[in-house]
Parts: sequence; C-alpha cells; structure tokens
Amino acid sequence: MGKYVVKRLGMALVTIFLVTCLTFLLMNAVPGSPWLSEKSPSEATLAALNAKYGLDKPLHIQLLKYLQNLLKGDFGVSLKMQKNRAVLSIIKEMFPVSAKVGALALCWAVLVGVPLGCLAAFKRGRLTDSILRVVCTLGISMPSFVVASILLVSFAGGIASLKIFPTIFDASAGWRTYVLPCFALGFYPMCYTARQTRSAMLDSLNQEFIKTARAKGLKDNKIIFKHALRNALIPVITYLGPQVAFTLCGGFVVESVFSIPGLGRYFVQSIQNRDYPVIMGTTVFLASFIILMNMVVDILYKIADPRINLMKGGE
Amino acid sequence: MAEDKKMKRCPVTLQPDIEELLDWNSYSASDFDSASVEEKADFIQERQSVSYWKDAWRRLKKNTVAMVALGVIIFLVLFAFVGPYVVPYGYEQFNKGAENLHPFHYALEDQRRLDAEVAARTETETLSVDELIARAEEEAAAKGEKLSPVDIAKIRAQAKVAAQNTPAQSQQVDVDALRAELGIKKKLFGYSKEELERKAKGETVFPHVFGTDMYGRDILVRVMYAARVSMSVGICAAILVLFIGATYGAISGYCGGRVDAVMQRIVEVIYAVPEMLVVLLIATALKPILTEYVNMGSGPLKSFVSVLGPNLISMFIAFGVLYWVTMSRIIRGQVLQLKQQEYVTAAKALGASGGRIIRRHLIPNCIGQIVVTTCLQIPSAIFLESFLSYLGVGVSAPLPSLGSMATDALSGMYTYTYRLIVPAVVLSVMILAFNLFGDGLRDALDPKLKK
Repeated sequence: MGKYVVKRLGMALVTIFLVTCLTFLLMNAVPGSPWLSEKSPSEATLAALNAKYGLDKPLHIQLLKYLQNLLKGDFGVSLKMQKNRAVLSIIKEMFPVSAKVGALALCWAVLVGVPLGCLAAFKRGRLTDSILRVVCTLGISMPSFVVASILLVSFAGGIASLKIFPTIFDASAGWRTYVLPCFALGFYPMCYTARQTRSAMLDSLNQEFIKTARAKGLKDNKIIFKHALRNALIPVITYLGPQVAFTLCGGFVVESVFSIPGLGRYFVQSIQNRDYPVIMGTTVFLASFIILMNMVVDILYKIADPRINLMKGGE
Repeated sequence: MAEDKKMKRCPVTLQPDIEELLDWNSYSASDFDSASVEEKADFIQERQSVSYWKDAWRRLKKNTVAMVALGVIIFLVLFAFVGPYVVPYGYEQFNKGAENLHPFHYALEDQRRLDAEVAARTETETLSVDELIARAEEEAAAKGEKLSPVDIAKIRAQAKVAAQNTPAQSQQVDVDALRAELGIKKKLFGYSKEELERKAKGETVFPHVFGTDMYGRDILVRVMYAARVSMSVGICAAILVLFIGATYGAISGYCGGRVDAVMQRIVEVIYAVPEMLVVLLIATALKPILTEYVNMGSGPLKSFVSVLGPNLISMFIAFGVLYWVTMSRIIRGQVLQLKQQEYVTAAKALGASGGRIIRRHLIPNCIGQIVVTTCLQIPSAIFLESFLSYLGVGVSAPLPSLGSMATDALSGMYTYTYRLIVPAVVLSVMILAFNLFGDGLRDALDPKLKK
C-alpha cells in the first residue's frame, strides 16, 4: 500500500512540475513584456523594473526562482486586474466559492446518477431504459453553457410565470441562488455517471454470482443493492477523478454565466485581460488540485476494491 | 442466428441433422472417397464471403438510432458546407436596415395598419415644433402682440419634453396589445421593412430564416459557417489524434520491454494533466505568439498559419500535445495482443521490418477500434472547441463559432432568445449525432461487445 501511494505521489509531483514548467514557458513566450501596459516607461525604468522582478536573468534561472517561490506559496502578483495583489490571496478568496458550487454539483450528480444508472440497467430494454438513455446521451452532448442558458431562459426570467430562481448569484440569498448553477454544472457529470453505472451494472448483473444469488432465491432489491451495485460502483469511482476536473473546468463557464464570484470566472477574466501572472497562478493551482484529486481517487479505488493487488501497482 | 438457419438449408453441409446422426453407421466405403474437383468448387461457392466492412455495415444498418444519427450528420455536413452557397448573405455582411430582426415578421400591410392605428391613437401631440411656434405666433398676432424669444424657447422645450415622453410610452404600452386587437399574426422568417417592400415589388429576397443579430448579420449563415468551423475542428483534431496516437501506441506496444515502460510513463504523466486547463492555457499563450508570427514571419508556413487563423492552430497543437493519449492506450493494448499471433511471427521469419509489420499487419487488425475511437473523438473535440470559443479563446473574431455566438447572445438573452437557442441547438444536435453514431459504430465494429 505504502509503496503504491509513494509511486502515485511521485507521479503526481512530476505531472505538477511539468504543468508548472509548461505554464511558465508558455507565459514567457508570449510576446511583449508585462510593463507594456504601463504608460511607455523609459529604458532606465524598464531595466530597473526587470532587475527588480528578476526578468533580466536567463529563463532557466527565472524558472528556478519561480519554482522556489511556488514552494513557498508565492504565486506572484496580479499585473492588471487587482494591481499588485498577491495571486495567492486572490485564490484564497475565490476558490472556496467555486469549490462549494462544484462540490454541490458533483454531489447531486453522483446521488442522482448512480440510482438512475441502476434503474436503467435493471429495466434494460424497456421504456424506462430508453428514456433514460436518450436523456443521458443528450446530457453528455450539451456543453454546460447550453444547459446554463436554457435554465436561465426558462427559470430565471425568460418565462415570466416560471421566474423562480435569481439570475445573478448572491451568496447571501440562501439556497435558491445555488440551484441553477449547481444543476447546470452537475448535469453532464450526472448523465455521465448514469451511463457508466448502467454499463457497469449490466456487466455485474451478467456475472455468475448474480445467477447464484437468484438461484438461492434472493429478492431483487437485495441482489441489486447488495451484490450487483457494490461491484458496479468500483469502476464508477474511478471516473470521479476526471469528473472533479470536468466540474472545475465547467465551472469557468457556469460561473461567468451566473456571475458567481469564484475562481473560475476570475480565471476567465484574467484570460480576457491577459493578466499573465494570474493565468499562470490559477492554472498551476487548479492543475495541482485536479492532479491531487485524481491521485486520491485512484488510491481510494485501490482501497475500495480488495481484488486489486496493490503491490503490483494494479492494472 | 440467421446465418445458422442458412447453413442448415445448404445442400452440402457439414452440420449433421439429428436424424442423420442415426445414419452414421450406414455409410458405404465410397462415401469416404476424396471429393472430386467439381465437388470442391461447389463447396467453395457455398456462400459469398462477407468482408469485415460489409458485415459491420450490415449490423450498423440494423441500428436505427445510429442510422438516424448518420442521417443527421450528413444533413449537418450539407448544411455547413453547401448551405452558405445557397444563402446569398455573407457571415460578415452587415445588412443595413435589417438589424435585430426576429426570426418572424409581420406582413407589410399589417405593419401599415399598425402604424396607422398607433398614429391615430397618439395623434393629438404629433404637431412638429415649427408648427407649434407658428400656431403660437398666430395666436399672439391675433391678440396684437409679438412673440418674445423667451416664449419661443419655452414652446420648443415643451415640445421636446412631449416628444420624448409620448411616443415611447404610447408605443411600448400599445403595440403588442394592438397586434392582438387587430388580429395581426407573426409570419415565418425575418424580413426587414425595406426587404418586404422590395419583395412586394416582385424582387426575390432571401429571408433571414433565423433573424439577424445587432449588426444585421444573418444568423442562419453565421450558424452555417460556425457549424463548418466546429466540424472541421472536430474532424481535423480527430485525424491528428489518430496519427499521433496510433503511431505512438503501435510502437510502444510492438517494441515492448524498456521502450514500452518509458513510453508508458510519459503517457501516464500526460494522462494526469488536466487537459481542458492546459488547452485553455496553450490557446491563450499561443494566440499572441502565432499572431505575431503571422505579422512578422515569412515562408509557406506563414501563409498556412494565416489561412487557418492562429486560434485554430493553437487548438490543434493542444490536441496534438494532449489528446492522443487515449488513442495510444487503446492501440497499444490491441498491439500487445496481436503481436503474439502466428502471422506476426511468420512476417518476422520472412524478414519483415518492425515498421512493415506495424503498418501492414498490426494497424489493419485494430482498424475497428481506431475508427470507433476517432469517431468518438470528434464530438469531444467539438465540445472543447465550443468551450474555448465560449470563453473567448477559440476561433478568431470575424469567423463565427457556435460557442462565441452563444456568448454574444447572452447579453440580450431574454429579448433575442433565438440568438442563443439556434447555435446551442445546432451544437447540441451535432455532438449528439456524432456521439450516437460513434456508439452505433462501436457496436457494429466490435462483435465481441455485442451480447
């Protein structure tokens, strides 16, 4: 177990390191210097600025410096959007909002998706299954901004009698404000989970031990929940890692649609404003978060499934 | 199942019936003679061989959903690639006087009736300023006085205030109710007033089927071009992924051993990279670099870049860098199995090189999975493209994209809902069709999956 965790952790760190380097190089390759947005400073000022921020040194030394700072938790400062404010403090302020919406979305996605998948698998080939399949395929074909805008148009003002939820996110307004963003964000993962659960359930319903359970006269409920579902859930867990990533990235869009003051929206704004340190900082932060979440999910998966031999690293 | 029945009906079959089992002992010695040439020929012509693709096509044809999806895809391809030649508007063409058209219009006579009605109801205050002044001067003259400049200014100010208030108020309150009152009905497709007049004169005017946007650009044409962009991105990205992934996976699987181990570590690392984030980053960072290159650079590469646009290129680069991993894993798994087969050993014994074995023997044998993965890659690429365009780092500005059209529409979402709905629906239908077709293809090409 320990060996596996160490291996995964090493892998994750290598990935984070690579992403950081890639981010750094890409941002430095962008033409123009960060000072160009200022009122065209003189040569001397430019040199002084570059010297102050270490931009006059060769690239690999800058990279080293950046990595060093990163280890100390210093992501640099914002150049345009909130001038000279540390990127880390921006992240600290905005990430909790994103994380809350994302976690809620993921929760409902799993809590609804898994039972729906089970239902579809159990009613295989019947009307319920067909309807669910259509809905789920539709769900994984609609980008989150489509879902979000449909919701906005129908439930937040487009149809006057259905104006139940607010258009603009307001954390103090209670649960209502969370409904639409979380629904929009969780719809794709929900459909995806339902599809995965369905195929995993079908696989496990075809296994010999289900036949045995039936043969010894167990009730349907017990077969599904005690025998089939527990085996079917294992592959579903593996998809949770990528789902976290997807929900976070889908958050960019949903947050800008609903004006949620989260990190995703800020990231998008920083891209539009070309505030490179913010782009860089948030990318590194989000990427590390996603990579670490993936790792945790993988390790949980190995713990959850006793059949997998940890020492061999599983495959 | 159907094939089994056919077998049984065959005259010279090796499958014995149950009854024939009883007759086993009653064969004469002549029954064991070797078959004559004719008999052998007969035997071969028994059934026409069905090729892999024919077989797959037959299975696919039975899958109604997949066939409908294929139909939709063909329709969308025609829509995107032939459509713009049918519609006489350009995607960048500003149609003057046709701004903000809804996808419906009111007939010309109905509009006139409406105008007349509105005018009738607001008639009292429709005198112009000069008329008002003239009237006041007349009144003053009748009293034997002369109008002072201050009085004239007063009248002007009053008229101005009145003009600001009355028409706006009366129109906003009345128009919709009036339409219902007069029984004016919406008619399909958007026409501007001027276009309707031209049409009335007998000219043929192509309607704005989905209306126009705030600059008077025809939405139908823009959606067509956007669909074309999306589809091209999807297909190009899928092909790019196919080449890189298949090559990498085949080499990794075929070589095995240490090469495989190293190559798989690389794959694992890339697999763990959150793609969407990095794609966003690459698209953001490469855009200015490539734009500068277009402005400064030279040579054939430059014209290539400027034709495709910096954003598309950076998107392709992102795909090329990150998305081949899935493909390579699938191909590697297949190749690992296939390379144990005798024909590979035979090819090796005959002195075939590794490259030849991969190209001629291994890749053709995993073509099914390659096709399916490529097909399923298309919707995910379209998905990503729309995501990027929505965030404003996708396709460059004048060229429309379904994602960016949806963003543009957000501002006037409630008044001009169709601007949002049209690209969103086209996008969703496109991804849905490719997804369903890919699923059908997977069932058709992989008989092992069929239960």
